[in-house]
Amino acid sequence: MDWLSVIPPFVYIALVAFGVVLVTVAYLILLERKVASWTQDRIGPNRVGPWGLLQPLADGLKMFFKEDYRPGGTDKVLFTTAPAAMMLVVIVAMAVIPWGGVHRVETQISVAAGQDVLAAAIASIPMNADLVGEPRVVEAGTYGIMYEYAFQIADLSIGLLFLVAVLSLAVYGVVVGGWASNNKYSFIGGLRATAQMISYEIPLGLCLLTIVVMTGTLDLGQIVEKQAHYWGGVIPAWNVFAQPLAFLMFLTCIHAEANRSPFDLAEAEQELVGGYHTEYTSMRLGLLLLSEYAEMIVTSSVCVALFFGGWHLPGLLGPDAQHPAVTSSWVVVLLRCAVYFIKVLVVIFVFMWVRWSMPRFRFDQLMMLAWRSFIPLSLVVLLATAIALYFAVAQDESFRSLRRIDGYTALLLFGVNIGLLLGAMVLSRVLPPPPLTNRRIGIPGSRFSHTPVPAAGEVEAVVQTKREFLVGVSNQL
Amino acid sequence: MKDTEIIELQEPRLSVADQFYVPQMLVGMGTTLKHMFMTLTGKDRVIQYPEEKREDIPVVEGGMNLRTYRGVHRLNKDEGGRVKCVACFMCSTACPAHCIHIEAGESPWADREKYPIQFDIDELRCIYCGMCEEACPVDAIELTHEYDIVGLTRQEMIFDKEKLLKMYDQTVEKEPM
Ligand code: SF4
Ligand code: SF4
Repeated sequence: MDWLSVIPPFVYIALVAFGVVLVTVAYLILLERKVASWTQDRIGPNRVGPWGLLQPLADGLKMFFKEDYRPGGTDKVLFTTAPAAMMLVVIVAMAVIPWGGVHRVETQISVAAGQDVLAAAIASIPMNADLVGEPRVVEAGTYGIMYEYAFQIADLSIGLLFLVAVLSLAVYGVVVGGWASNNKYSFIGGLRATAQMISYEIPLGLCLLTIVVMTGTLDLGQIVEKQAHYWGGVIPAWNVFAQPLAFLMFLTCIHAEANRSPFDLAEAEQELVGGYHTEYTSMRLGLLLLSEYAEMIVTSSVCVALFFGGWHLPGLLGPDAQHPAVTSSWVVVLLRCAVYFIKVLVVIFVFMWVRWSMPRFRFDQLMMLAWRSFIPLSLVVLLATAIALYFAVAQDESFRSLRRIDGYTALLLFGVNIGLLLGAMVLSRVLPPPPLTNRRIGIPGSRFSHTPVPAAGEVEAVVQTKREFLVGVSNQL
Repeated sequence: MKDTEIIELQEPRLSVADQFYVPQMLVGMGTTLKHMFMTLTGKDRVIQYPEEKREDIPVVEGGMNLRTYRGVHRLNKDEGGRVKCVACFMCSTACPAHCIHIEAGESPWADREKYPIQFDIDELRCIYCGMCEEACPVDAIELTHEYDIVGLTRQEMIFDKEKLLKMYDQTVEKEPM
């Protein structure tokens, strides 16, 4: 009985994962500053330690030693709860990320005579592991058993659902923080975050559904496993190749979900000072900033799991071709974690790259993007995927049992995606243009028109004219 | 403003690529990627300040011409080592920031009537416009090329007569009167 079986695996996976993630979060801030300076022909922080590598330490120290100030009129409880809640939610969401596939362990147990062998075996394996096969007799009183567990903190069969539910809660941190600050800028930041969330959760959910329809499971580990094979022997069966359009929409939506530029309206520093964290100082501000980066890690991890095959890297498969997720080697498990992490870092780099390339969207543009293009488009993609899969299933009986997309189906889905993209392009030319927002509209009585201010007795008539005018305007639009 | 004075502009109709945003976005991201590579291959535009200074770099390469630079003040001395200033208050009158404070006293020397007993310049309020230098009838006050002056308190940054005269001793080699 070694220490591995005394401590359930999810405990040490959790400890290591949180350690790695929290350190990464600190270094992501440094990376962001570096990327920012590289795009602007600068070098970035390079004074603290070699290449500025100790900068996060200095930043953290600064955060700790700043005055922990709470302005008057704030809601004392909510003001402190908001950053904590935000960080908590993101950390909880990290639990279902399938870092390293399934680890299979072979071990031996000794059973006293007269004891139930199966019960003893089940009692000896870690909490969240499953027994594989029957215990087999090695010698009298000693049995060889085999068990496997998913190398993630919580192996939920509804992982994706859990993730969507939990991640949507992160917006509460923004809203509550903005409200509790007793500051108009913070409040507007919170309001914007709300409106943004209800717009972007819908296409995000629809893109997730597209993948769920393809793979037939909500278990993130299994979604990854189903991408761990090849189409035509060479192309890795990652969903991004079958669903480029869904991926593009998903990527955009997680930018909005993580409150990242170009959708960082909630903290738009040029208009709203600091947005929802205007009034925050010290480590409370630190938590808000860190949770933004932690959320980036989570959303990128989901993106990698759904579209980039998670831990799958060509050439890095488990011993069992039928179940590529299963491996009995520690080295492979750790390598898989490394591959996963590197993929996540690449996606995060894209986040940063986009941030320093795109100007921020205006609010009406953001809404237009969500409601006029993403929601219809993602609905159509979902529908088309379902129909395409229906025909694919009708042809291929083995699909129903394994539910792995084969090369032809992938090609079909790719074609459908590109077709929809082109169709949308054509349609966008044919459809009438969107209403002209932000146009100056002369309203009687406003300072832009010369309609005189009505006398006391005439108010009724003026209101009537105004109403007619507005109805006329809205008919025009 | 009258309604007739307002010109309402129509947005130009976007091309398909523009309307779809993604191609144009990729062009923009290409630009930033190009700059990232340029920086990473050593073509950044950073001057590592305390080690490198702008005055050491040619002006066409982003350097700075010190001859026209207006830095911290100095009070000039004449051949006898006496302060040149005659406390005429021209500079403090001309100063738009009101940061020169002079207290005049009767001069101990025969060739002038007054001299400054006290001469303070608040270097934090000064906007380094050079008006004092222009106004001085005896070229007693001048702006040097020193720009990296530091102090830990505001009080330290109010330069008195001694400090300003010391400034002259420090800079007279480099910048003769
Ligand atoms: S440089 Fe301008 S602001 Fe400064 S002391 Fe002279 S006159 Fe005043
Ligand atoms: S520095 Fe020049 S202008 Fe100012 S008081 Fe002295 S003599 Fe007059």
